[in-house]
Amino acid sequence: MDSPLPELRQKTLLLDYQLPAQLQEIEKLASAVEDALPERSDLAFSANLCLDELITNTVLHGLQGAENRVIRVRMSMSEDWLEIIIKDDAPQFDPFVQVPPPDLDVDLDDRAVGGLGVHLVKTLMDEARTYYDGSGNLIVLLKTLRKNT
Amino acid sequence: MALECTISEFGAARLAHVIGRVDSATAGELEKSLAPLFDTPGRHAIVDLSALDYISSAGLRIVLMSAKRAKQIQARLILCGMAPHVREVFEISGFMKILEVTNDPASAQALL
Repeated sequence: MDSPLPELRQKTLLLDYQLPAQLQEIEKLASAVEDALPERSDLAFSANLCLDELITNTVLHGLQGAENRVIRVRMSMSEDWLEIIIKDDAPQFDPFVQVPPPDLDVDLDDRAVGGLGVHLVKTLMDEARTYYDGSGNLIVLLKTLRKNT
Repeated sequence: MALECTISEFGAARLAHVIGRVDSATAGELEKSLAPLFDTPGRHAIVDLSALDYISSAGLRIVLMSAKRAKQIQARLILCGMAPHVREVFEISGFMKILEVTNDPASAQALL
């Protein structure tokens, strides 16, 4: 059983965004994330990379190109945390448990092509969890604002 | 434009400039644009990433495939000019250990 996630006190909603589940929509989401974090381009970059990786997986694998589907993104901030929530209506899938980690310690010839997306998310965020509520997957990402600032 | 890639002759090597965003929507375009770098055995390639704003794993995949292709044709692929946030993505991916990286095209050329 996972330990409970930290509670975000007095969090401010920075972004509530719905995007059609298509790859070319991710760049528009990225602009909205940048606009929502105007003074923290470093955080916006990390947030966007994670959103891109997870939404790309959902569009290509979870929804398999199904049309007229929507993914909802909410981003909030407290004094200590950046919180990103992604909600889809794809079949149950937990990328943080089901995707095998890449082997980073092999030479060029043996490096597998692909499989880095979830590793990037796990590295850039402090917490990454998936919940399934019967209608879709809810991903919660938390990044602490206390270090590397 | 989301992604732009131009290739020019640079001494004994070829130099590619990658400008903008490489994500899952534009990675295919990057793959196509970089393909001519690897059409001549022994011809080295330098890829200038100083105007690359953003790269996701879809783009890293193309970079890794390019490095493998260069090796197949007995050529070197040298990346240069990464901004710190782009460099961090390469580091997290373990690519700094397996790819040649320098500060700018001139220092890349000096390695050849």
